[in-house]
Amino acid sequence: MQVKRSKSRIDILAILLVFIFCALISRLGYLQVVQGKYYERLADGNRIRLVPIMAPRGVFYDRNGVTLVSNRPGFTLSVSFINKAISDDVIAKMAEILEISPKQIKDKIANKSGSYEPITIKSDIGPEFVTKIEEHKHELPGVAIDIQPIRNYVDNELAAHIFGYVSEISDWELAKLKDKGYKAGQIVGKSGLERVYDLDLRGVDGGNQIEVDVTGRVVQILGKRDPVPGNNLILTLDYRIQRAAEKAIDEQLQYLQTDTRYRNAKAAAAVVMNPQTGEILAMVSRPVFNPNLFAAGISYKEWEKISSNPFHPMDNKAISGEYPPGSTFKIVTGTAALELKKVTPEEKILDTGKHWLIPKGNAEGEALGWINFKEALSKSDNVYFYEMGNRLGIDNLEKYARMFGLGAKTGIKLLGESEGLVANKKYKEKVFGEDWYLAETFDAAIGQGFQLATPLQLAMMISQIANGGQRYQPYLVDKITSPAGQVIKTFEPEKTGSINISAGTLQLIRQSLREVALEGGTGAFAFHDFPIPIAGKTGTAENSHGSDHGLFVAYAPFDSPRIAVAVIVEQGGFGAGSAVPIAKKILEAAFNVNQPLTVNAKVLTAHTAL
Amino acid sequence: MLNRRLLKNLDFVAIFVTLLLLAISLVFIGSATHINTPSEDRYWYVQRQGLFTLFNIILVYFTLNFDYKILSRFANALYVINLVMLLAVMFVGHSALGAQRWIQIGPVSLQPSEFSKIIMIIALANMLDHRWGQLRTLREVLPVFVYVGIPFLLVLKQPDLGTSLVFMAILFGMIYVAGINTKILMGIFAAGIAFMPIFWHFLKDYQKMRLLVFLDPNVDPLGSGYHIIQSKIAIGSGMVLGKGLFGGTQSQLNFLPENHTDFIFAVIGEEMGFVGAFLILFLYFILLYRGLKIAGVARDNFGTLLAAGIISMLTFHILVNVGMTAGIMPVTGIPLPFMSYGVSALTTNMLSIGIMLNIYMRRQKILF
Repeated sequence: MQVKRSKSRIDILAILLVFIFCALISRLGYLQVVQGKYYERLADGNRIRLVPIMAPRGVFYDRNGVTLVSNRPGFTLSVSFINKAISDDVIAKMAEILEISPKQIKDKIANKSGSYEPITIKSDIGPEFVTKIEEHKHELPGVAIDIQPIRNYVDNELAAHIFGYVSEISDWELAKLKDKGYKAGQIVGKSGLERVYDLDLRGVDGGNQIEVDVTGRVVQILGKRDPVPGNNLILTLDYRIQRAAEKAIDEQLQYLQTDTRYRNAKAAAAVVMNPQTGEILAMVSRPVFNPNLFAAGISYKEWEKISSNPFHPMDNKAISGEYPPGSTFKIVTGTAALELKKVTPEEKILDTGKHWLIPKGNAEGEALGWINFKEALSKSDNVYFYEMGNRLGIDNLEKYARMFGLGAKTGIKLLGESEGLVANKKYKEKVFGEDWYLAETFDAAIGQGFQLATPLQLAMMISQIANGGQRYQPYLVDKITSPAGQVIKTFEPEKTGSINISAGTLQLIRQSLREVALEGGTGAFAFHDFPIPIAGKTGTAENSHGSDHGLFVAYAPFDSPRIAVAVIVEQGGFGAGSAVPIAKKILEAAFNVNQPLTVNAKVLTAHTAL
Repeated sequence: MLNRRLLKNLDFVAIFVTLLLLAISLVFIGSATHINTPSEDRYWYVQRQGLFTLFNIILVYFTLNFDYKILSRFANALYVINLVMLLAVMFVGHSALGAQRWIQIGPVSLQPSEFSKIIMIIALANMLDHRWGQLRTLREVLPVFVYVGIPFLLVLKQPDLGTSLVFMAILFGMIYVAGINTKILMGIFAAGIAFMPIFWHFLKDYQKMRLLVFLDPNVDPLGSGYHIIQSKIAIGSGMVLGKGLFGGTQSQLNFLPENHTDFIFAVIGEEMGFVGAFLILFLYFILLYRGLKIAGVARDNFGTLLAAGIISMLTFHILVNVGMTAGIMPVTGIPLPFMSYGVSALTTNMLSIGIMLNIYMRRQKILF
């Protein structure tokens, strides 16, 4: 037994134990007895303050390096605990100077009680307030003004729905995001890319640790940590196309409201993408909001104006708006009919103005006589496609609609995307508890009835015709770069599906869509002399709540498509009259047709290399 | 099973000191949390900790029914379970404060690395029991280091630097008592110091920052440097007699973060002053001293090793935690035994005390 031996070792451990406790007690004695007075002074209304320095958020650039979203300096007013609490006098004085109610300030302070960092009362205050605060400094112990970066959306409303907006983190967001290092009072992305890429964009806040005197004046800076700016996003957007698309939509809505009977044409959306990759080149939704209003704290009045607008300016209708696709859906019906051999390209069907089974006809009651597939699609004949629906049946229509990606989210990295709806038996039985009727198949075949699609889904649909049946995940961010400009992450095109479509069918569909833009087609008036050959399809969707919605989907150039467009004008009437002119202006910008000479050269050369 | 002879042999000093520490803990958890918590949940932390304290006292009483010797039978199984648990945290655990350490089971977040400490002590006691007196050459010592090294690296990877260092403290305490050749022990220490730079390389940025901050708090004035400065202000301003219970301005105004968990000793120092802090440390000293005594009188080597491991663990915790709040140890997230709020740590510590009581109770060889 060696227990005896271990006994002596245990004695040594006991000595070590005594030594450790002596060391700890000596240290405490030094802190509490010897230095006690010094620490008591520091603790007296704790003179150590933390003043955070907000990190500037990452910058957004377009695909050619044009700055779209950046930061600007602004004055922020904050208050910190001097002794036990912030006195009512100080609150009243602040309220008076800032011209807000004392209750608002009290609420802010109450929300952050227990915080050892200054509480932001108001960000981005004007210089006149700064002067007043400085003048009354002695009456405002604990109140400080700092310069903090404020988010700056360079072109105000431009691409507001894509960028989103930022504002102070809410309580429920904080509860959810605490683990990721978010803190009360921080500015976070609330929607759009600002929200989705918030972790990349936010950077790391820095701060000063300062010692202050009893009135809150800085005695000395004890330590400083510089903020690290957030990472930048290089977007797939093309500033020129985006700007042209927004301008075209605004002008067109203005025109429709004032010069036509479509007075309620107040909402619209457009998506422009590269059909070969899924890159989004432009995305517009109307009505719009100005994200700059949120960056500095939106006033109640301005928020009221936005939230009471019946057309919901905050919604990104390009991804969340669900519209009947109307005649643009005939691309799907046509593909299904040809692929499943329900019709041959040569077969002629007699359009007498009405279908023989159910008396449904063309919008204006016209009759086109004996027509084949190409004529039917390019002239958008309803009777022909009712018959296609009749031959296909609703199940086949559903199958092909889903192949084109309809009825499912595209997966674009934005929040609030809708699924749309593909007309099918199950849905009707679930929601209405009724059997399917042939009339509903007829409606479905021409994109009416239950069919709903988002503008983005329609852009994806036409892209698949343009690129031969591939479905690419639509994306907005091309690269994430560090503040120093190094590439951190590059996003590549990603294939998410494809349609089985024979070369013959594809060619026939494409040629029919080409005819749309040629003499006799529904888009001919706008495109017959367009220098770049385009293919497209108009649509006019019936709307039970008002005038018809106008739609247009297109791609160009016809032989080697690089641009796909989908445009919808809510209550804009015929697609040809409302959506086509917008698409035309977008394509003019994309292909540099009829553009003013002021366009900057760098953008131009970079663009032609696209 | 618990006959009167065994009950008579209980270490009443250790029991009294432990209960006293637990009672003090509830008072200061209450003091640290009551002001910053909405009134309806004001005593949520105290109630929860109190409930688990009672539960643990019952648990410890239950364990006293069994001879501690049966632990040696489960030692290897526990070792394997421990590894599985640590791997599980890596894959299914959720992270808090940048470290992945928790597994959620119902309403309780368990921290497997807490339990792994006591498991390590049991497993290592069993191993060293079989190698008692056979730790003369590096060849004989190396397997012991590998045995502890595997869970050590898993914990380090979580990353939980604090707990991994506790493993080292346990290892050195136990292997020393087990009679390791002191020359080899010195050699290992020297090698450890020489390999510091490589070890440094494996640390996460925030861990490096904490160690740098320890050398100069102004390196990170808003992060852990802030904690250290505020903790020192809280303790120092307590002076000799303290500001009185619930009277600590630093702790109460929340200048001091995590004041009910890792920094609870700063609350004690501020509110009870040097006298209070000294008395708390004195209680700890009595408890640990009793522990060493138990290690000395244990009926077998297994008992001696268990007690030595437990004492090493508790001593290391107290040294690092109190040292951290007083600004002489880096911030590593090690709680103060019996004092900090936390269910997993409380259970581990109580089970440890249960094992110590068990060893002392059965110190006499059965004569009949």
